[in-house]
Amino acid sequence: MADLDFQKQALAHLDALYNFAMYLSKRPSDADDLVQETYLRALRFSHRFQPGTHLRAWLFQILRNTFLTFYRVREREAPVAEDGVPEWDVPMFHHAPEDDGTAMDAHTDLERAMRRLPEEFRTVLLLAEVEGLPLEEVARVMACPVGTVKSRIFRAKERLRGMLTDYETK
Amino acid sequence: MTERFDESDESLSRRLAGLPRYAAPARLRVSIVEAASPAPRRPIWLSPLLAAAATTMVLALLVLPVLPRITPADPVQRYVRAVVSEHSRTLMWGARHGEILPTALPWLTEQSGIALPKVFVGDERLTFVAAEPVYLERQRGVAIHYRDVDGHMLTYIALPAPGLAVPDRARVPIGRWRPALLRDSGFASWVWKQGDVGCFIVSDMVSADDVERFKEYFTRIRSTTEPVPAH
Repeated sequence: MADLDFQKQALAHLDALYNFAMYLSKRPSDADDLVQETYLRALRFSHRFQPGTHLRAWLFQILRNTFLTFYRVREREAPVAEDGVPEWDVPMFHHAPEDDGTAMDAHTDLERAMRRLPEEFRTVLLLAEVEGLPLEEVARVMACPVGTVKSRIFRAKERLRGMLTDYETK
Repeated sequence: MTERFDESDESLSRRLAGLPRYAAPARLRVSIVEAASPAPRRPIWLSPLLAAAATTMVLALLVLPVLPRITPADPVQRYVRAVVSEHSRTLMWGARHGEILPTALPWLTEQSGIALPKVFVGDERLTFVAAEPVYLERQRGVAIHYRDVDGHMLTYIALPAPGLAVPDRARVPIGRWRPALLRDSGFASWVWKQGDVGCFIVSDMVSADDVERFKEYFTRIRSTTEPVPAH
């Protein structure tokens, strides 16, 4: 089990991780489970963390891996819509407590557009533009080269612009 | 083209940075801290202690049944325990050879070595149940079983006991007799001697009210029963 010092350092990033989880999972109950699972894993495997490296990036990486693990499980089990996109209404965690009813509301067109982005585009924008992580750290979280991160950011913004233009014209 | 793109890129970055942020609920922090807290550890000495206690218990369960039974050193208590055991056996399994007195007397005398020139065969309060020979304390004897109107079983036992000394401290005056009242294993026993024959009446009548009736039953049996060695 992690020592108290590590636990304290890790909990300093709780709000950032929760925000990231909300944009990834889009449901408060799923975000709760996702963050809690992330911390349990991080604290259990704290000995693998290399001191001096970016703790926040390490935690983001665990959270994303956890999300993808559960997302893939859900994607296999959940009914798939005709367009091949899984339904977001299905809870990500099967043991999730009673849902609080609604998924996260999109307050702006930008949020709506973010919600529609594929996960790898959404994640790079959240990490690089929202959380302000350096591209090297984003690359570590995404487990890909920095060049790929740059490319994904560019393409993600292109898609966002297209969707925002659509919203404006409607 | 490039300028227009760069400008909109910066603008989009600013808008992304201004997206609403979601703060973690307080209960989430609490639940994480609770989940991460190590469970209270048991004292280091507790596990060996529990293991030793469990081992001792198992050994005791294995050894106890093969230990020799502790027999009372007092001869009177030994007799009382023996007649109580015989009474308990009767309660559980019944008398082995129930016969109606006095038709059974010749056979009973032959088997038990105790002759009964006079014997209590029951009345309106006590009903005769059975009579049978017994072997207690290395002596042959006779046992007669009765049941009273309330369902209490009584066992009268007579067997040779030349060395038996009735304890004075336990004697109870009943009319012209002074039998001893002794208790063992939840049963009460009248103990007295007639010549060299030790006599006992056992019952579960142990409460104060029951003892008064038990005295009456003693009187009925004692006044009408005369055991003597047959040979």
